[in-house]
Amino acid sequence: MFIQIEPSSDIPIYTQLANQLIELIARGELSGGDALPSVRSLAADLGMNMHTVNKAYHTLEKKGIIAIVPKSGAIINPPVQAGIQDSHRARIVEELKPILAEAIVLGMGKEDLVTLASSIFADIKGE
Amino acid sequence: MTITIFLIIFGFIVVMESAIPFLLRRTIAFGVTIPEGYTDNMVVASYRKMYSAIISSIGLISLFGFAFWANSNTVTEEQIVLIGLAIQFGILFLTMALYLYFHAKTTQLKRAHNWGADLKQIRIVDLAIRTKDEMLPSSIYALPMAITIGLIAYTASQYGNMPDMIPTHWGPNGQPDAFSPKTPFSVIALLLIQLIMQGMLLGFNALIKRSGIKLNAAKSKSSQVQQLSFRKYSSWFLFMTTVLSTILMSFLHLSTIHEGIGNTALMLIMPLGFLLLILIGTAVYAFKVGQSGSRIAVAFEDEATPGITDVDDDQYWKFGAIYVNKNDPSIFVEKRFGIGWTINFGQPLGYIILFVPLVLILVISFLL
Repeated sequence: MFIQIEPSSDIPIYTQLANQLIELIARGELSGGDALPSVRSLAADLGMNMHTVNKAYHTLEKKGIIAIVPKSGAIINPPVQAGIQDSHRARIVEELKPILAEAIVLGMGKEDLVTLASSIFADIKGE
Repeated sequence: MTITIFLIIFGFIVVMESAIPFLLRRTIAFGVTIPEGYTDNMVVASYRKMYSAIISSIGLISLFGFAFWANSNTVTEEQIVLIGLAIQFGILFLTMALYLYFHAKTTQLKRAHNWGADLKQIRIVDLAIRTKDEMLPSSIYALPMAITIGLIAYTASQYGNMPDMIPTHWGPNGQPDAFSPKTPFSVIALLLIQLIMQGMLLGFNALIKRSGIKLNAAKSKSSQVQQLSFRKYSSWFLFMTTVLSTILMSFLHLSTIHEGIGNTALMLIMPLGFLLLILIGTAVYAFKVGQSGSRIAVAFEDEATPGITDVDDDQYWKFGAIYVNKNDPSIFVEKRFGIGWTINFGQPLGYIILFVPLVLILVISFLL
């Protein structure tokens, strides 16, 4: 369960961290009920500020992916069975739209996009 | 006796100091981060060999010179101690000067050839690594402390039987050579110092346990095995130190209360045995484990992932040796040049854990 951070990248470190944790959950390497490392120990292993890790964890909490429980730390929420909540869907649409728009501007067609989406899905699900 | 002890320590220092460049992480040379692909660079390799050759040759020459001189009839024991210490400090000074020279040369070389400019700097973390950490629990470091506290209580009960002059220092032959008048403080001073040292080692273990586990980016799997071994053996070495010194100090203390138990042979063997065991432990730690576990053989092939290298954090290492990083919550970090751990001077707790015990010990010795 490795996480890779590139400090010199344009993407902020806390975003990289949050994204990688989400991907680990999507891949099933981390699952509901698992505890994430404490903020202090993860920051120490990264050699980075505790605020950075804290910010990543809070981002995940806001997205409803983990719960931060006093004393037990950050716990991954159980998998969603009932389908995505409306508020989450709205946020994802909002985040996805500019990326799709950019892809269209740069010449990607509908079929291209659908193929890409399903190949990323297959990669994450290990199919 | 004094000469033999001196020569053993002296020889040990020379061997250790000249071996150091070969006991380190392959990605760090003379305190400088070496990017992947350059770790076997010929010039850096020649620096390592030169450092080693200079220290070992000068060290051995002065060792033999000292042995020869000390065995001549005209020198007193004080002269031996004084000159012996002077030469050892000279060697340490030489290692520092050479280190700084090669640190500068390696930095120049890296900069001039722009090493690692085409590599992506990556930090790798294993989320599950803490569950595999085999460091000893800090609570077992409290056991020797309990023994010391028991001894303090026992001393209080034996106060009436104790001699009027309490030994405070022992010579190389294991016999006391300095004394203080008996007071309720002086009879337990040695035990108090012991308690402080035990507490300090407990603190070291607890803080090393909390320190970051820094994996090598390109060879994350093998460096994971090596890191975990290094941490495990670090805590065993600390525990061995605290147990051995507890045995030695308790023995010396008990021989003050009950003069019978410390016969001459035992008084001689205990400190000497302590010294030898510590030296053997250090040698195993340095040569079998190596800094960051670099000498631990990994059972599987771990090909370096191409295109990536460790994050270059040379900016946080003053002279490549003193770590000052306010962002890193680790109090202890692995040394870059040397065996063992050093303190993150960007964290105030680091100063406290290092200096408070030293000040307390100094105060106790001053009050005696």
